[in-house]
Amino acid sequence: MKKNLLRQWQKRGTVLSLHSVLFVALFIMCLPFLWMLSTSFKTSSEVLKFPPTWIPHDFTFENYVELFKAIDFIHPFYNSVIIALVSVILSVIVCSLAAYAFAKFNFKGRDKLFMVLLGTMMVPGVVMQIPTFLLMKALGLINSYTGIILPGIASVGMIFFFRQFLSTISNDYIEAARIDGAGEIRIFWSIILPMMRPALVAQGIFAFTASWNSFMWPLIIATDDRFYTLPLALTQLDGQHASNYGLSMSGAIVVIIPLVILFMFTQKYFLNSMNIGGVKE
Amino acid sequence: MATVELKQVTKEYPNGYKAVHGIDLQIRDGEFMVFVGPSGCAKSTTLRMIAGLEEISGGEIYIGNRMINNLPPKDRGIAMVFQNYALYPHMSVYENMAFGLKVAKLPKAEIDKRVREAAEKLEITELLHKKPKEMSGGQRQRVAVGRAIVRKPDVFLFDEPLSNLDAKLRVSMRIRITQLHKELQAAGQTATMIYVTHDQVEAMTMGDRICILNYGKIMQVDTPLNVYNYPQNKFVAGFIGSPAMNLIQVRVIKTNGGVNLRLADELELTLPPAKAQYLLDYDGKTIWFGIRPEHISLVNADDNTTGSTIHGAVEIVEQMGNESYIHFSLNGVSLVARTAQFGSQTLQQGQDRVAFRFLLEHCHLFDLDTEENIGLK
Amino acid sequence: MKTNLRSLLFFLSPALILLSVFLLIPIGAAVYMSFNKIGVEALIDPQTISFVGITNYTQIIFHDELFRKALLNTVIVLVIAMPLTVALSLSLAVLINSKLTKFSSLFRVGFYLPAISNTIAVALVWKWLLNGDYGLINYLLSLVGINGPQWLTNEHTAIFTIIMLVVWKGIGPNTILYMAALSSVPDSVKEAAEIDGASAWQRFIKITVPMLAPTTTYISIMLLIGYLQLFEEPFMLTGGGPVNSTTSIVMLIYNEAFKYFNFGYASAISMVLFFIIFAVSLIRIKLTKLGS
Ligand SMILES: Nc1ncnc2c1ncn2[C@@H]1O[C@H](COP(=O)(O)OP(=O)(O)OP(=O)(O)O)[C@@H](O)[C@H]1O
Ligand SMILES: [Mg+2]
Repeated sequence: MKKNLLRQWQKRGTVLSLHSVLFVALFIMCLPFLWMLSTSFKTSSEVLKFPPTWIPHDFTFENYVELFKAIDFIHPFYNSVIIALVSVILSVIVCSLAAYAFAKFNFKGRDKLFMVLLGTMMVPGVVMQIPTFLLMKALGLINSYTGIILPGIASVGMIFFFRQFLSTISNDYIEAARIDGAGEIRIFWSIILPMMRPALVAQGIFAFTASWNSFMWPLIIATDDRFYTLPLALTQLDGQHASNYGLSMSGAIVVIIPLVILFMFTQKYFLNSMNIGGVKE
Repeated sequence: MATVELKQVTKEYPNGYKAVHGIDLQIRDGEFMVFVGPSGCAKSTTLRMIAGLEEISGGEIYIGNRMINNLPPKDRGIAMVFQNYALYPHMSVYENMAFGLKVAKLPKAEIDKRVREAAEKLEITELLHKKPKEMSGGQRQRVAVGRAIVRKPDVFLFDEPLSNLDAKLRVSMRIRITQLHKELQAAGQTATMIYVTHDQVEAMTMGDRICILNYGKIMQVDTPLNVYNYPQNKFVAGFIGSPAMNLIQVRVIKTNGGVNLRLADELELTLPPAKAQYLLDYDGKTIWFGIRPEHISLVNADDNTTGSTIHGAVEIVEQMGNESYIHFSLNGVSLVARTAQFGSQTLQQGQDRVAFRFLLEHCHLFDLDTEENIGLK
Repeated sequence: MKTNLRSLLFFLSPALILLSVFLLIPIGAAVYMSFNKIGVEALIDPQTISFVGITNYTQIIFHDELFRKALLNTVIVLVIAMPLTVALSLSLAVLINSKLTKFSSLFRVGFYLPAISNTIAVALVWKWLLNGDYGLINYLLSLVGINGPQWLTNEHTAIFTIIMLVVWKGIGPNTILYMAALSSVPDSVKEAAEIDGASAWQRFIKITVPMLAPTTTYISIMLLIGYLQLFEEPFMLTGGGPVNSTTSIVMLIYNEAFKYFNFGYASAISMVLFFIIFAVSLIRIKLTKLGS
């Protein structure tokens, strides 16, 4: 009886310390976001108040209003959305087509070609960026959507992911469709693509995030602020409005929130997409 | 006219493996032909060459009068049912069945009519809106057959369509497919069927004729009963029938009256004249002697009919309820007898000197080298 | 069935063309450029490109102080941040996976937040939070009586601040990878060890950790490739300073190429970086093989 009670207390202690550790970690992980969020709703006078406040006294939207009215944050937002959407759609199409060929067609040199492509995943992005910049310059594509989007469409990682997925789909479906009289393109469109849905969604979200957050390439290729994406516009906030933290925090929130929402709704798919390579063996 | 004819068909896979070595086969219009054979004997490969899913390395295949070697699957007038059904998982049953017709650009009304007719025939009308995931194995199986029917093909191809079902369903589906074959024929449709299986019960019960394959070669093509009663070679003899035919090596010994077969050591059987006549040239040679388990019967221990009764030791008795399999040995050679006799129940393992009578007029004799049946020429 | 060429081209050519133009050819071009002197004039007049052999490389390896500094910085980040990220991810994964833990999905989402958040946006707030004089962090520390350092503006601490931030960002995804891996360790194995009398800690070290080895290898290689390409954090938070104490290799390349327009020289550094990544990954893989 006594022993039982002791055990129970011991267990309670474990549970308590376990959760304290986790909540402290959670606080550290989320601290910047909480602070950002709180600051973005503060008046400029409250922002720098010392000691700092967590909950805004005078709750205000003025930072957001200014962000979109006074300084043009709408334009970069629009750019980011367009670029991310177009990138995702084109990427998913191009990569799923190629992955299908690599997974289900037999052709000479297929596996060697694929190994070469996989090998390039080790090459740091910056290696390609310099020649690509010069190429874009020569083509007159500096400061253009095309210049920002085009180099990122074909992704070896995505092709690899799709190929892995496709290799789990039985060839029987393809053969059944062939007997049903469907041509190669029809088979891909009506049979394969619908079956790839989870993979498409996962990689689509992944690509959207990557495009939305990409910084170095737009930084290199978009020198005119008409083509600025959100991250580039944010760096402007850092420079020009240095002391106006309310404004820059609301800017940061605007950049972060869409992905957080996307993440919340698509957690399952998103987590799937990063589960590649590891774990199973 | 949906005859199917294979002329010297061969298959060599890209990796150099020769799977099919020159097959000649004629399948009649409306015939139900079963391909059977051990795993890896190229049943699927042959079927897939007929379907157009696998390239034909050599020889010719005709459907009707057309040489179809270079036609794509859709132009061959065939439909196929796959082992794992290959129902498109994102389509409803209706869409699955309609897909091929849609691809062929049939009018909507015609598609609808055909799908509903087929669904009725297979009793899957209530399932039409369901997705494959939501159905049992047997239902999926029927849908797969339905998808084949709606195409109104000249030739149906089945690749082990029942092997994923449990034993009971397998029996009922087996009957259903046989019925379907009869119905289609009665309705005046051509319904040549080629059916791949490794289950010999399916082969025996379903086929008009059976084609037995081994290592990419045809071993025998004939009606089920002929294959059972007159196996052309040792392979067919051993493959068809369950429990399998007893096959043992024996020495042929000519006696003044006829021919004896020497089993182990001193044991000898005397062949009836009808069989003995084939072995005149075999004196002193070793041959394969085959006898089906049902042609060995238990007799009273004091039965001493020389030449056909031998005493052996019982090893194991398998009780099937309606009959029993008695595994026994004759000086080290293991044999099986199959009997419905009540007396078998009292047999015990290790029991010695049990008398077995061999019904030698039913035995088969195979050449040691060619393994051909010596009595069939 | 033999594949016909037309449909093969239909499926393959869009990706192959793009990959050739933006991946394979640029890699080749970078190799070529690294043996040349290519300045800003080359943008107008390609005639000004001159072949210089391995001069760029000898310059980088033997004479470039800044490269040495950047290499050192990058290596420091790698050597400290990688094990730290792995250890923290694994610990958190174990804690969240514990049967006693409630709200596990809250933690999962919360820990993941830094990973999906835009680095630039996050850098803005960190820069402020970590301000030595009026930042929130030092204020919070002062509440418990600690006198916080000048996080980003001190030559000796800045690099460690950067390390903290990359670890902070890297924990989430790897925690989730570890969680998935942990739940795929069969209970029966752990139970067998428990019956053999192993303590919880022994079970963890002797059974769980070795069974996670493939995941750990994968995570380390991914981290290593990522950390060696460190760019955004120093670019935003310190601009490489103070006194180049946080300049990373990629930052150096960026500056050489797009600030000073030494395209040839920058390409040479990028090739050196590639070799470093390649070599270190290889070593990491060899280590795994030795271990097993
Ligand atoms: N794509 C291929 N490449 C090389 N060899 C193959 C290929 N497909 C089948 N084979 C080989 O060809 C032989 C015949 O295969 P097939 O699938 O036709 O056998 P099967 O009689 O259908 O066997 P099962 O009863 O197991 O289905 C086998 O030895 C197999 O290993
Ligand atoms: Mg087969």
